[in-house]
Amino acid sequence: MARSPRSDDERSAESGKRLAADGGSVSDADGRLSDLTSFFRERPRLRTLAIAGPPYGLLVFFFAIPLLAMLVVSFQTDQIGGAWTLGNYVDFLTSETYLTVVWRTFLLSVQVTAIVAGVGYALAYSIVRFSRRTTLLLLLVILPFWTSYIIRMYAWINILQSDGVLDSILNLVGLPALSLLYTETAVLIGFTYVWLPLAVLPFYASLTNLDADLIEASKDLGAGPIRTFLSVTLPMTINGVVTGVVLVFIPTFGSFITPRLLGGTNNVMIGMVIENQFKSAFNWPFGAAIGMVISVVVVALLVLATRLGGGLFGTGGETS
Amino acid sequence: MSLLRVSGLTKEFGDLTAVDDVSFDIEDGEFVSILGPSGSGKSTVLRMVAGFEEPTEGEISLDDVEIVGSPPFERDVNMVFQDLALFPHLTVAENIGYGLKQSGVPADERRERTERMLEMVRLEGYGDRAPAELSGGEQQRVALARALVNEPALVLFDEPLSSLDRKLRQHMQSELQRIQLETDTTFLYVTHDQEVALAVSDRLVVLDDGEIQQVGTVEELYEAPASRFVADFIGDVNAVEGRVTAVDDGTIGLDVGDGEVSVPRDAAVEELAVDDAVDVCIRPFLMRAEPAESDRDAVDDANETFSTTGVVRSRSYQGSDSLYGIETDRWGRLSAEVRSASFDVDDRVAIAWDAADVHVYRREGGAPPSEDGGA
Repeated sequence: MARSPRSDDERSAESGKRLAADGGSVSDADGRLSDLTSFFRERPRLRTLAIAGPPYGLLVFFFAIPLLAMLVVSFQTDQIGGAWTLGNYVDFLTSETYLTVVWRTFLLSVQVTAIVAGVGYALAYSIVRFSRRTTLLLLLVILPFWTSYIIRMYAWINILQSDGVLDSILNLVGLPALSLLYTETAVLIGFTYVWLPLAVLPFYASLTNLDADLIEASKDLGAGPIRTFLSVTLPMTINGVVTGVVLVFIPTFGSFITPRLLGGTNNVMIGMVIENQFKSAFNWPFGAAIGMVISVVVVALLVLATRLGGGLFGTGGETS
Repeated sequence: MSLLRVSGLTKEFGDLTAVDDVSFDIEDGEFVSILGPSGSGKSTVLRMVAGFEEPTEGEISLDDVEIVGSPPFERDVNMVFQDLALFPHLTVAENIGYGLKQSGVPADERRERTERMLEMVRLEGYGDRAPAELSGGEQQRVALARALVNEPALVLFDEPLSSLDRKLRQHMQSELQRIQLETDTTFLYVTHDQEVALAVSDRLVVLDDGEIQQVGTVEELYEAPASRFVADFIGDVNAVEGRVTAVDDGTIGLDVGDGEVSVPRDAAVEELAVDDAVDVCIRPFLMRAEPAESDRDAVDDANETFSTTGVVRSRSYQGSDSLYGIETDRWGRLSAEVRSASFDVDDRVAIAWDAADVHVYRREGGAPPSEDGGA
């Protein structure tokens, strides 16, 4: 961080003396604290830097620089430090196998997002509208976060596998076993379970901010429950919906643990391909290239979706 | 036939009875206000008429059709909400056209009727703006237009003017009256503000603690309040403690401290018996005051006049009148509204009023007498 032109320190020392002279009776700690505040009060630019510096620093070191490194690596042959090439991109974008995986990943992500958005919105709505135990219910919603993601996935393996918990229960009530593990359904269930709390929170936040009078006004003006939902409730909470959708869609598109553990080898997602390039095939440049393409695609999709959402509901995106 | 008929309306929230056996009628084209302090149940009555609350008991009929049980979107009633509840994600024109859209009015007609409404509330050219870009008074007009454009049988108002400053509120009051006449619509207005209620209404329903205190025209309520509560709530009133000493055909004899006065029989709305404790109420503007000559009562202490002397403790100038707070020798602090005379604080004055002008109410057990006369 850019600190300490000499004069700054001198001036702070001066103001410290002045303050000490002003308030002779203040304790040492108080004096030092007010020294510090007055030091920053007199230097608004330094203050801004001190506040904004650390988070921006973190972003640069842990996000911008790695991304840049990945971009650089993606243009190299499998000999890092060697020659430059566009070959990684060409290989990826011309391979039907990889593109099929991307397409399947996209479809699965859309399904997961739609399910989580639907269930999550209903859940958030019921917590806001019909419940007096809001805090308790919200706590229950986020409770699974206190257990490790991996452990929760293994729990699902236990539930979904052949002769697992689910099949045993079905067996007890006389229904045929499903053997869901290593199917797409298992992956959908796993994702829905993992992301639901993540979507419920922004949905809940936007729904609590929704003025109940607006719902009544809509009904008063002749709109039934469905019309009221579509023309008032949903547009007024579209910001929360977009946030929740983004929070679910992005990590789903890139994830590799859930599909590996619950989908096995039948349900390869692009995140698994990338991971494989880095960890097994040791072709970092190729993995980096796929990562870059996926990042661009996801960002483009999100921009498009946000625009579309805003356009569908007029000025709704600007409220709240 | 009444347009709205409310009978035996009762609403209980758990143990609390918010509205207790309320009945009143509204004629077509009337401007009726429900007036009451906060917590009196007035908004609950309105919300039951709108359909947002289900009554525990009682009936509400609109145009002779029972509407209890039908959802708000099926009632031919529109409401102007306290906080207006304009849709922030829609333009002014879309807000006004919202109800028409719901009832399937074609876009052309919708535009035309919205335009006509904007004209009616004097907001021509504001159609494309967002509600947030409008001033408080303009937003009130939009809310009004949004309710009126559907041409409902009845428009409900839930204290929408309470957030405005006095000047704007008075202006909106006269606008409400103008628009009510122009559209020939029936208005039911809920408020705690007696000034607004008196200014705009044809008739008032006074509510306290969920129960109707009185229903009548503004004049009836002001000149013949049915209870001490109504007298206090509608306009200012002084109260003097007394005890009934005699009741006959034409008069009631009252012991009011050291002295007896007889008041007309019709000063009391309820049957009084000898020894009843009563409040004798008088409007400040019906009191006379003149400089007191030494300590002697300047006003003759005849049997049909209340009179006392006192010291001016406060004075508030009110344009043509002044309102004096007077510490009287006989009845504690009273307020008198006097036109011509001019007194200063600490002046000794003699005040009096006619027995014909008072109202007498039986004092409820334990209720302490009002010291400052509710001024």
